[in-house]
Amino acid sequence: MTTTESFARLMSDAAAMQERGQSALRALREIGEVQVGLSEKTCVYAEDKIQLHRYVPLARSARVPPLLICYAMVNRPYMLDLQPDRSLIRELLSLGVDVYLLDWGYPDGADRFIPLTEYVCGYLGRCVEFILEQNAIDALNLLGVCQGGTMSLCYAALEPQHIANLITMVAPVDFKTPENLLSKWAQHIDVERLTRSGNVSGEFLNLVYLALMPFRLTQQKYVNLLQMEGDRAQLENFLRMEKWIFDSPDQPARAFREFIEWFFQENRLIRGELTLDNRQVLLKNIQCPVLNIYAANDHLVPPSASIPLGAHVGGEDYESLQVDVGHIGMYVSGKARKTVPAAIARWLQERKP
Amino acid sequence: MNDSTTTHPEAPPYLKAWDDYVSACQALCERLSNPAAPAAGGAVPLAFLGSWKDFAASLGMRPDAAPGDSSNPEDKFASLFPALGYSREYQEIGRRMLDLTGQFQRRYAEFLQHSADIGQSAFQATQRRASKDDTLLASPAAIYDAWIDCAEEAYAQAAHGEPFARLLADLCNILSEFKIERGKLLEALARQIDWPSRAEVDSLHRQVQTLRSAAVKAKGVAKMRTAAKAGRAAKAGRAAKAGTAAKSKGVAKPTAAAKPTPGAKRRGKQKIRKTSERADR
Repeated sequence: MTTTESFARLMSDAAAMQERGQSALRALREIGEVQVGLSEKTCVYAEDKIQLHRYVPLARSARVPPLLICYAMVNRPYMLDLQPDRSLIRELLSLGVDVYLLDWGYPDGADRFIPLTEYVCGYLGRCVEFILEQNAIDALNLLGVCQGGTMSLCYAALEPQHIANLITMVAPVDFKTPENLLSKWAQHIDVERLTRSGNVSGEFLNLVYLALMPFRLTQQKYVNLLQMEGDRAQLENFLRMEKWIFDSPDQPARAFREFIEWFFQENRLIRGELTLDNRQVLLKNIQCPVLNIYAANDHLVPPSASIPLGAHVGGEDYESLQVDVGHIGMYVSGKARKTVPAAIARWLQERKP
Repeated sequence: MNDSTTTHPEAPPYLKAWDDYVSACQALCERLSNPAAPAAGGAVPLAFLGSWKDFAASLGMRPDAAPGDSSNPEDKFASLFPALGYSREYQEIGRRMLDLTGQFQRRYAEFLQHSADIGQSAFQATQRRASKDDTLLASPAAIYDAWIDCAEEAYAQAAHGEPFARLLADLCNILSEFKIERGKLLEALARQIDWPSRAEVDSLHRQVQTLRSAAVKAKGVAKMRTAAKAGRAAKAGRAAKAGTAAKSKGVAKPTAAAKPTPGAKRRGKQKIRKTSERADR
């Protein structure tokens, strides 16, 4: 094909795409605000910015201890309940699991000096205690997702008596593996300087996330959007995801600094050198059953960052589950929806007291 | 290598994407159809490049300002050398911000060079793919997708390298420093117009944090006390129940040796008090 022919083809393709794009944009304007996190829930405990939600059951109880989900602080947890047909939480509820969710909220200047210890041993700890009291039980099931998984590991290592079973999902444990691009970038960042003037803005975090795969995330996905024509359902899915991607809360300065320095730069957790609440955080203290779920194509938390967990926990009952998806796909892809919730429910069922 | 799109910077991302798509397809079609003249056609746009500069601008930096541009108020400080007098500190801050802008511009230029290299590698990879697959050239959309794949691969290779990591960290560190300096200026301004300053608010937040920690500790102690009290009450209840049961079953009364001495009850109480004191501590 000659340049002239290619150019003519491009022009005709472009015209067709423009037409489809216009119809997509018209439909987008009509959609307006999209709804997320629609599963029915009640706030059962609140403190400062954090809220603990309990979801309304959707099926007969599976008679396993309640499951507390601890999500990352760097993103919003409604990704786990993005829409009724793409909701890990809804799937778990329909399998009879009693689900609680810890929402870290949107930290602001008032949270600037709160240390990481307070987030792990304080807020998370008090949520655990609340659930234990509410249900009159000694231990619950804990599901830690992404950064929340790392925090859950710390908590479980410090308070093993409160955790019946621990599930980690796309959670980094070894922060210094060759595939970990975020970690490579974090090594030379002066985090003290970054946080000296206050909280770290969500806008900055977005900049970093988009830089991980810039061509796909800032160019190709919008080109694909223009090819969706007026498919309202597809456009709504796109908008929900778009809303979540850019809904990154500001990070409380001190806790963020400690997390980056201690985990990304010094890799203290896996080296057994992390101290929280004046106590050493040792993964070998985690004696309860552990299910480690990781994504094979994760560009944020590569499998190599999650897999080493098995070699460090203290208990014999350790299982890992690799899902052939990316980081986000773990929450919303059809493949993960078919396997992950059922695997979690079954695994918990097999270990019920 | 251009680092901004032809659309307005505030335009919705899909308009930028559309613009990039057309430019990218055009550039790729032209260059791939003319392998003998690889420089033909414009450069393939890399839409993400502007975001660091946009972020710098959002902090109040003028990343595009040319040194010596008289429209920059900071330049006034640069022309006063050495900084002296009543506003000396502010002049120094201004000078420092100007210096940081220069540092940012230099590092950003290196960043653009890196990106140009990535673009070039991506193009070569796309060219290799196109030479193996004739159908690619027949569809601009297919070329575009192939180019995106190749660009991500080339980018990932560069991004994993130490020079790229240092470059990104430098950009980040320079912007952090700029934000700190900007904060100092705003602090001074706030004091001048009698507004609460950042330092003042921070000081309050620190105090709140200290009080909060103390309150949480106190709550924990109170909870422990309540739990200890409940434990004692339950124990006493069980003991009383056991005593009643023993009586009703006609169990022999404890012998004199087994009977508690008159002071024992008091000692027991003292013991309990000690326990709660320990809890206090």
